[in-house]
Amino acid sequence: MIVSTKVEEKVSFGGYIALAFAVVFFSGLLKSGEWYGVFDFTTLNGGFGKLMSNATGGMAAFRGTGGSGAADGFLFALGLVPTTMFALGMINILEHYGALRVARKLLTPLLRPIMGIPGSTGLAIIGSLQSTDVGASLTKALENEGELNKTERDIFTAFQFSGGAMIVNFFGSGAILFTLTDTTGAAVPGSIGLALVVMFVFKIVGANVVRFFLNATGKKEAKPQVAEVR
Amino acid sequence: MSTTPESNKMITDVFVEGARKGWGIAINSTIPNIMMAFVIIKILTLTGFLDVLAKVFGPVMALFGVPGEGAAVLMAAVMSMGGGVGVAVGLLNEGALHARDIAILAPAIYLMGSTIQYAGRILGVVGVEGQRYPLMFGVCILNALLAMFVMNLLV
Repeated sequence: MIVSTKVEEKVSFGGYIALAFAVVFFSGLLKSGEWYGVFDFTTLNGGFGKLMSNATGGMAAFRGTGGSGAADGFLFALGLVPTTMFALGMINILEHYGALRVARKLLTPLLRPIMGIPGSTGLAIIGSLQSTDVGASLTKALENEGELNKTERDIFTAFQFSGGAMIVNFFGSGAILFTLTDTTGAAVPGSIGLALVVMFVFKIVGANVVRFFLNATGKKEAKPQVAEVR
Repeated sequence: MSTTPESNKMITDVFVEGARKGWGIAINSTIPNIMMAFVIIKILTLTGFLDVLAKVFGPVMALFGVPGEGAAVLMAAVMSMGGGVGVAVGLLNEGALHARDIAILAPAIYLMGSTIQYAGRILGVVGVEGQRYPLMFGVCILNALLAMFVMNLLV
């Protein structure tokens, strides 16, 4: 596969609106039965109704109670399918209107100070949040083009390796966790947005651990490395 | 990322296209993973191994405000993120984990998740030297533990 790291993309005003919408939509801030609940993921995701358990009108959850093993797992998982479909549908819209391009534009000047890697990795970063394969192949291409040295490459790889393809993986399976309730009836606290922020922050923290480790050990390795150069 | 805002695709079509991707993920990943996790949890419960796991990892996991059973979630996550989510959901269903535990574990599942397969797909493709692999795995585990610590304070 031939990958080019030099792609110029237009950033539109609509992209900023899409990114701002994404932040609010997944933050859980507007979770409500009021009209502004339309701007909240969990509210719009809704829930299944109850089934009549008998002719006298008792109600039961569609999944039933007291099940176990593969059969119970299947029915439980079936109940999570709409959340996954809804989340991926919304992500597709946000991507279509340029939210990720704006995120890349905002992130690019910050990459050197926060991770010690060049701004030219912006496209690869956004790509890596959606697909590990895109991220890895773009990183390889950046190194081959001389945009990244070995240390920068390893820092950037650490960023990608922890929480690989974060957006697609998390919205594909993790988002459902924040729609669940436990056996005592308590809902899972926090929000999809909070989990995303925590993951993104620690991806950067992890990259910096590698950055400082390589900088600390790099001095000792400097001499033999020079000797190895052709 | 080939689409541009200028292309006149209907917003409803874009949504449906994404929802179809979600359907693919749901039937190929979510349902099989959760079904497998429910079976594994049933095996662990019947053999009493879940209690052993809870006792052994109880003290460590207590640092993050999660019962010892939470360790099973992290072990499954290293194999695959979907598996980690499946085990978390299964244990929630059993009452071994509660709502707050799930929130604490959620970011950790992803930060150290699927690292076994991503070693090939990320580290291998990029060409990271073998001697750096322990560092890369160590960073993932560190990230996950720190994220649990922070989530314990936040939720």
